[in-house]
Amino acid sequence: MLIAQATVNGLVVGLLYLFMAVGFTLVFGVMRMVNFAHGEFYMLGAFSAYVLTTGLHLPFLVSVVLTLVAAIVVGGLLEYLILKPLRKDELNGMIVTIGLAMVLQNGALLVFGPDPLSMPAVITGTTRIGSIVIPNSRVYVVVFAVIILALLYVFLRYSRSGRALRAVVESFQIASIQGIPARVFYPLGFGLGVGLAAVAGALMAPLFVVSAFNGTTPLLKAFIVVILGGLGSIPGAVVAGLALGLIESYAGLFFKSSTADMIIFLVVIVMLVLMPRGLLGKGDV
Amino acid sequence: MVTRRISLTFGAALVVAAFTGLPAGASAQETLKIGAMVTLSGPGAAWGLAMKNGAQIAADEVNAKGGLEVAGKKYKVEIIAYDDKYQANEAVTVTNRLVHEDKVKYMIGPLGSAPAVAVLPITEKNKVITIMMAFTPKALGPDKPHSFRVCITTAEVSQPQIDWIVKSRNLKKVGGLFPNDESGQVIAKDLQKAYQHAGADLVAVELFERDRVDFVPLLTRMFAKGIDAIELDGNSPSTAGLIVKQARELGFTGTIARTGGPATADIVNVAGKEATEGMLVHTPLNPGLPSTKAYMDRYQATYKSPMNGFSPSFYDGANMLFEAMRRAGTVSDTDKVSHELENLKDFSGALGTLNWTGKQSYGIDHQLNIPFYVAEVVDGAEVIRATCSVDKCE
Repeated sequence: MLIAQATVNGLVVGLLYLFMAVGFTLVFGVMRMVNFAHGEFYMLGAFSAYVLTTGLHLPFLVSVVLTLVAAIVVGGLLEYLILKPLRKDELNGMIVTIGLAMVLQNGALLVFGPDPLSMPAVITGTTRIGSIVIPNSRVYVVVFAVIILALLYVFLRYSRSGRALRAVVESFQIASIQGIPARVFYPLGFGLGVGLAAVAGALMAPLFVVSAFNGTTPLLKAFIVVILGGLGSIPGAVVAGLALGLIESYAGLFFKSSTADMIIFLVVIVMLVLMPRGLLGKGDV
Repeated sequence: MVTRRISLTFGAALVVAAFTGLPAGASAQETLKIGAMVTLSGPGAAWGLAMKNGAQIAADEVNAKGGLEVAGKKYKVEIIAYDDKYQANEAVTVTNRLVHEDKVKYMIGPLGSAPAVAVLPITEKNKVITIMMAFTPKALGPDKPHSFRVCITTAEVSQPQIDWIVKSRNLKKVGGLFPNDESGQVIAKDLQKAYQHAGADLVAVELFERDRVDFVPLLTRMFAKGIDAIELDGNSPSTAGLIVKQARELGFTGTIARTGGPATADIVNVAGKEATEGMLVHTPLNPGLPSTKAYMDRYQATYKSPMNGFSPSFYDGANMLFEAMRRAGTVSDTDKVSHELENLKDFSGALGTLNWTGKQSYGIDHQLNIPFYVAEVVDGAEVIRATCSVDKCE
């Protein structure tokens, strides 16, 4: 029974990792660049949901959608205005994202202050299935997460722009030869990537706290997931995100939590030795 | 231009004074720098700000009266704050900066135990007086004549409170969640003994990294052991708030207790009023005491945010430090100042009448002895249920 409970917990956290990692890998796939500011968009997404729901009293679902749209626009603009000159210069681009992360974090600190804020739960109570107890707030978040993931899947799989974006992720040169314009897909890829991070932040805001320092841990987890799944591989990020959530949850169930934290890194090390390209990665890095 | 020239001359005079050791011109007001080496970012920031702001209010008050008067000279008190990020290595860096570059002789902090263990050798070697929060027993000792602690720690408060809570709520099995570092491990060990002594058992102990935000797996494991209470002493306010929120979300209806580390306002902020209802908390504050109430109101008016319960300790600590300087008649000879500080008796502070204790446990009377209370959280506010001394609560 405990195992069933741990599975449910693991899937919830896994979904968070999945969102972070898919966005992260999307940015990497398009721009060949590690976005160190990725975690800060998670943090901004959480603040956005907080302000929209508690300040403007919008429904949670509307806040999440608005956050996603705003993040895609802001992300696209940032790429166009700041990262554009560095498109062929990934190393300096990466350093710019570190600077961007600092600016965003300290900006949030200035505006919202250092005290953690709490967003009221979207829904209260628990759902019991046998002896498994799931807080309703988490069920709610899972449902939203699955809906957004389904939309993303449809977009990437069937829409023209989505297919073009995937082509750019697969191979930039070949996509260019086919006439896919970089000037559109760089901002779109970056915007969509950070948009997913912001959605993850908005979805998790009612479960955890909202604070300017929120972004660091999800960024670290996104790194781990992306390395496990294979850099630049979207299906890899999906599988590895859920797997990491489950591993953490099971490890937390059977071992002390400090041991559980070590086990995660052991898994990463073993994976890197045995499958240096990750679960589903195929390109070279 | 004129003001600039004046300030340049003034600055030059100060530099000359610093190099020659001569006092600056009698007409010029000197600055007394006090460092604040506390945590200003991350989950510990709520405490760090409480400490810094407490000292800042004390400094603002003496400055408003024209400065701190020591041996006929008036000093403007300036608080220089640095962030140690709750990390020992960062603490060493900023302490060195305070001691060697800013040349402070007095310091508010360290806050955490790990930073304390790392920086006390530096401050003691340079005879810098520290007004600390650090809960580790290693922070005080006869070999540390310049280190003072103005918060009452788990070691002092846990036993009487736990006796009272176990008896009044009839507890048998308790689970504890603590951060996995020096502070958390010391607290876990102390509480294990205290609960046993009170007739209950700390059956489940979970140590976790301080940046953790999801406690559902750990809580699930604890609930499986059939605990009837959760102990949250030693967790940062936001972490404690998250644990309360998630425990109640999972349907936990037992007692949640926090027998150390006042942070009720922050916890209610994070977890919400509903989740914190009925929680039992340690609090060093009795808002019924007029001096305490006055300080809380001043804090609220100055910083427009709820006050962390540790803040008055550092307001009182800073004021005691000022009084010791006045009595010693010097701001530079810290041996004399610390001698006067430890000899202060029945000091009337925001928290009540204050004295030093600790000889028995630490070999030196550098632990501030303050009254404390057990409160129940009702509709987001503390209602005092028992008044405690080191011997018992009633």
